[in-house]
Amino acid sequence: MDIMDEIRDLSRKYPDRRGALLPALYVVQKEAGWLSQEALDTVSRALNLPQATVKGVATFYAMYKHRPMGRHLIQLCTNVACMIMGAERLVDLISGRYGLEPGGTTDDGRFSLVIMECIGACDRAPAMLVDTDFHADLTADNIFEILEKYE
Amino acid sequence: MIKVTIDGRDVELEHPVTVLEAARKAGIEIPTLCYFEGLSPFGGCRLCLVEVEKLPKLQTSCTLMTADGMVVRTETEQIRAARRSMLEFLLINHPLDCPYCDKAGECELQDLVARYGPEAGRFAEGKRRHPESFDDPIIVRNMERCVLCTRCIRMCSELQASYSISVTGRGSHSFVEPFSGGRYDCEYCGNCLTVCPVGAIMSRLHRHSYRPWFVEKETETVCGFCGVGCSMVLQMRENSIIRAIPRRGVGFNEGLLCARGRFGYEYVEGGEELTTPLMRVDGELRQVSWEEALSFTARRLGEIRDEFGGGAVGAVASGRCTNEDNYMLQKLMRFVIGSNNIDSAARNYYAPAQIYLERIFGQGITANLIPGIANSDGVFVAGGDPTAINPILGLKIRAVWRSGGRVVVLGVPGGLKRFVPYELIPVPYSEEIVLSAIVGRLLERKPPGGANAALEAKLRDLRIPSDDELGSTGVSPEDVARVSEDLSSMSTPVVVIGPDMVQRRRASKSLFLLGAIAYLTNARIFLLADRPNYQGLLDMGCLPELLPGGRPVELEMFRHKAEEALGMKVPEQRGLNLFEMIDGAESGRLKALYVMGENPVFNLPDGVRVEKALGSLDLLVVQDVHLTETARLADVVLPATAWPEKEGTYTNLERRLQRVRKARRGKMASYGREDWRILADIAGRLGMTKTYQRVEDVWEEVMHVSALHTGLGYEEMDGGRALWPYYGEPLRGMEGDFTVEGLDGLPEVPAPERPYLMIERPLYHSGTFSRRSKALLAIQPGPYLKMNPELARRHGLTGGDKARISNGRGVLELEVRLDDDMPDNQVHVANTFEGFAAMRLAGFGTDPVTGALYMDDNTVRVEKVLR
Amino acid sequence: MERFLLKNIDSPDSAGIGEYLRTGGYASLKKAFGMEPADIIAEVKAAGLRGRGGAGFPTGMKWDFASRDPKFPKYLICNADEGEPGTFKDRPILEKNPHLLIEGMVISAYALKSERGYIYLRGEYPHARAVLDKAIAEAYEAGFLGGDVAGSGFRFDLSVHQGAGAYICGEETALIDSIEGRRGQPRIKPPFPVNVGAWGKPTVVNNVETLANIPLIVSMGAGRYSEIGNPECPGPKLFSVSCCVERPGVYELPMGIPLREIIYEHAGGVRGGRELKAVIPGGISTPVLTPDVLDCPMDFVNLPKRGSMLGSGAVMVFDDTVCLVRVCWRAMRFFEHESCGKCTPCREGTGWMRNILERMEGGFGRDGDIELLQDIARSIMGKTFCPLGDGAAGVVLGFLRNFSDEFMYHITNKKCLAESG
Repeated sequence: MDIMDEIRDLSRKYPDRRGALLPALYVVQKEAGWLSQEALDTVSRALNLPQATVKGVATFYAMYKHRPMGRHLIQLCTNVACMIMGAERLVDLISGRYGLEPGGTTDDGRFSLVIMECIGACDRAPAMLVDTDFHADLTADNIFEILEKYE
Repeated sequence: MIKVTIDGRDVELEHPVTVLEAARKAGIEIPTLCYFEGLSPFGGCRLCLVEVEKLPKLQTSCTLMTADGMVVRTETEQIRAARRSMLEFLLINHPLDCPYCDKAGECELQDLVARYGPEAGRFAEGKRRHPESFDDPIIVRNMERCVLCTRCIRMCSELQASYSISVTGRGSHSFVEPFSGGRYDCEYCGNCLTVCPVGAIMSRLHRHSYRPWFVEKETETVCGFCGVGCSMVLQMRENSIIRAIPRRGVGFNEGLLCARGRFGYEYVEGGEELTTPLMRVDGELRQVSWEEALSFTARRLGEIRDEFGGGAVGAVASGRCTNEDNYMLQKLMRFVIGSNNIDSAARNYYAPAQIYLERIFGQGITANLIPGIANSDGVFVAGGDPTAINPILGLKIRAVWRSGGRVVVLGVPGGLKRFVPYELIPVPYSEEIVLSAIVGRLLERKPPGGANAALEAKLRDLRIPSDDELGSTGVSPEDVARVSEDLSSMSTPVVVIGPDMVQRRRASKSLFLLGAIAYLTNARIFLLADRPNYQGLLDMGCLPELLPGGRPVELEMFRHKAEEALGMKVPEQRGLNLFEMIDGAESGRLKALYVMGENPVFNLPDGVRVEKALGSLDLLVVQDVHLTETARLADVVLPATAWPEKEGTYTNLERRLQRVRKARRGKMASYGREDWRILADIAGRLGMTKTYQRVEDVWEEVMHVSALHTGLGYEEMDGGRALWPYYGEPLRGMEGDFTVEGLDGLPEVPAPERPYLMIERPLYHSGTFSRRSKALLAIQPGPYLKMNPELARRHGLTGGDKARISNGRGVLELEVRLDDDMPDNQVHVANTFEGFAAMRLAGFGTDPVTGALYMDDNTVRVEKVLR
Repeated sequence: MERFLLKNIDSPDSAGIGEYLRTGGYASLKKAFGMEPADIIAEVKAAGLRGRGGAGFPTGMKWDFASRDPKFPKYLICNADEGEPGTFKDRPILEKNPHLLIEGMVISAYALKSERGYIYLRGEYPHARAVLDKAIAEAYEAGFLGGDVAGSGFRFDLSVHQGAGAYICGEETALIDSIEGRRGQPRIKPPFPVNVGAWGKPTVVNNVETLANIPLIVSMGAGRYSEIGNPECPGPKLFSVSCCVERPGVYELPMGIPLREIIYEHAGGVRGGRELKAVIPGGISTPVLTPDVLDCPMDFVNLPKRGSMLGSGAVMVFDDTVCLVRVCWRAMRFFEHESCGKCTPCREGTGWMRNILERMEGGFGRDGDIELLQDIARSIMGKTFCPLGDGAAGVVLGFLRNFSDEFMYHITNKKCLAESG
């Protein structure tokens, strides 16, 4: 299905087309991993919403990305429970191994690292999402075992 | 009745309002930042916190509604402390660069800190950094100073309805941005500048060149760009305009302006103004003294009058000049020289349309209030984009949409695109068929009530197209049904008529059909006016057939009254209209033409022909601010003063009389003279005995001569009471007899191979003055050729390419701009920029019924210019 | 205690409709269709159910307001934007017992005469998204959603609306803005969502756990239901227990259970047998307490008496190795990140407090920092647009009320009491 149609199709779930804005942004983000001006414009046209409105909404939510991301997005939680359970050490390890700082992308475009606020896995802290895969009970020992599976 | 107590004062309220509004009503000023009258409440800044008995927490008075028995305190120690805290918070990230900031002195944050403190900040961490954005030529954004009150956002979305900026990001990293993040893609109304309480959004026009307290003088005047007539204040320093700002409570525009009004004033001090009179000597224009120019002009006019009769002289009045100027030109022509040959560019559409509609419905039919549009529940627009031609009127149409009303546009909706539920774009020149079909449907739904017998008789003869006959229009019978259903569901509709419905063959039929729609739906009619004083020049008698006050010159009774009032004679026969004068010049019947504040060579179609006609005159006098295309052909050029350099009055499209006031004077002002003074001087040399000291003297004469203006002095205008029907009932309902061309037929819809050239009326420019405004040029620097991508593709063109358009009348090379919303088979070019007179390429004719100009033979060859 | 909300979740197929039906699922729905909508509302009122999202507003009362509003359509929104740090109690329902939520929503919608529902799911739960989508499809297939629910003639459509990383959208008016495709910022109240909610229509927003209680109330009846837990605010409650305990996890226990039981009996006590230093009882925005609170019943009534709140029932346990300055700093970083930016004190104050705490934690604390922090927090408290700012201020005030010595130690010694201890 054409991306414009897919977006317009989403809007059928809502009483007005604007309701589909958040899901539509996910749809276009799925294409390139981030939201370029062109992607925002596509949404604007598909839903007949002002461009500035679309941008205002897209930049409010942390999970919409506004610069190119690596092939795999590591979203590591460092909120209180994860912090206590050693998440910050994992950040250091990832930085050491891949030269990847929070908010950054590896030179080879393989990974981007984003620090997340609580991802609701405090019982199995520290935890992270890699793309949409959930990984918990992370340790210095298993973190790279997991990450290395992502090419 | 709601009774509340605020700071010990009892306040009684008819309707529940917010505590803030109730306090203001009681004269108690509660400090605010995010509140702005006319915008929706926001409740974000937390400065308007008040104590309310029985409520545990402080409440924001801008969001809390009053309730009976409420007891409120607005200034206690607890409140002052809270406000101090809020200000301390705001100053955390707000740079303390007041010495450098242009807002200092009129900064609401600065004023509040001065009032509440804190004396010193305790914030000892690093401030958020965000570089100032100079990406835009007009608006500079300094987001470090932004306090996120969102007044600009709400202004842009709620009142301007442009939705061009939004808050991006979140928390303390929220910034106001246009979509691009840099340059604005907006309507440049600048209304965000008005509402910004701090120096976050500022104009670049006079950046760092003054401080608010450097303003030496403020002059309240009326905008000189379009027929809406917005009030504005010109702020002056050293005789130079530093800002044009709107002021809430002054004028009906309620604190709003458009791009042209706010930023376009610079044309008056661009340095290209004429400084002395010019006369043609040995084929060249040379600088001469005023005395030389005036005596030459008077002598030549006199000679021509004496030799060929007054009828050999004609005059062109100006929609940019005041009533007083136009009145004086009319007096010079009719009463001194003895010629009724006076007309103006209003002939293009405004004058014939209004006169025709008045013939159907009676005088004053278009005299309706602009603010009233917002109270309507539906609008039907045909013949032009109101948001570009008359932007502030356009905002009222958007307001109708906002309050749930329906907006229907016949043609390209332009700035109303977001506000129409469906598009209705007929094939060019088939609108008449669509309108006939709509009227046919309306007649079925709403049989007429018999109030206007003449109109109803004509309706009975109207040929209603069948569904098949609609085929050639590109509009389906379903669309027609939908429109008529919408129209008949409106209870207080408005019909807005623009130039494109008049500048066509059988203008009478289009106007009749639009009038019929208004009649059948009981709508008010608005006629768009792209000059500030088209209405005024009509009322001043700058028409070949009408004396001041709209009285026919050919009716003896009226002619005698005028002659009696002035003690001078008027010719009995109506004079030549603008196009007849061009014909007359061509044929040699017209020997002299006096052009005031108009540029016919550029602004009329078929410029080559116009140029040639003017060239064959014995005498061409041009009185203007600049050396225009027409002035370059003149025998005498008389420098006039511009709009902010003179006193007088304008009559807007609702027939509201408003004062134009002199802001610039003295040595810095241009060397020109006021138009009416030049004219009175010449009239005096030609035998007029009456003299005038001040502009008021002219107006007093107008009040004496024109029945429409009796008892309507400057004092009444200042009081906002000078509004049609002035002191009486409207004259509408006095319908007379009128003719409609082609009532019982349907036109062939032409299907030319080549695209039509249509005139774009851009939001950022108007006529040829705006091209001298640096600011407006920065927004839109030049012309372009607008077309839809499909048409471009057929000609091997794409956006940014250079294209040549040509026909037998001329050639233009322009940059292509693609626009998805453009209908097929037409290209649009603005008739504004020097060297790009698009009108020149169109042929024209005169409509036999209305006397309006119609564009004819206006197709062009389009080809790519290879580099 | 018998588990109601988490019944069956240990079964590998617990999320499937087959398993749900096999264990008596959707029976309450059928029972509900035999009742009048008003009677269901009355039953929920009588059951004394209070919202499980954090504020503890009586659910029946909320429903009553919405059902009295004459405007239609009405919307029912499930708040599954579980973003409060320390909270993960809704996750097992969403991922392992989604049909309980759907059943609860259909019954609620029937009671409210709502025909359209949304589950506002936080963006950080991609797995739950997949589970819910599947469960909704199954429910449509089985006729529990759609044009004629279980042959009753009642129509109810339901879909998931996924958030995108904004804690503030847990606030119901911000959530509504977010569903409408706007920046999720709280709206001015009144009007309340029950009258003017999504798209201007009456809207009920209930938490996942709240809605999951509805089938239970219908099947048990208000009388038996209200015998569970504290009679003042009865029912089963999900507690998420995390940080320094032996067995972190979600525990379904009766409302009003003493904190000590949760930590020591269910969660296995403080990890490694270490000393309990501090506990946050209801998620990060509820003020921290000292161990002397252990015998306090965990409910909406008793915790406020001890200076904190039940919140989402997220118990965060800190032993003596944890630096509370660092916890406070990290919490403030969260609030700063999540502040929507609408109101001045929250937007500017959270960042300022985070700055000071960051300095303090890094060994650059100054004399007067504690007083300044307290003053900033007090300037925020009670003056923000929504409770987020109050939460941030409350966290700082809570830490400084109970653990100011540890903060002072940080300033004076430029290092951590926990490390030195």
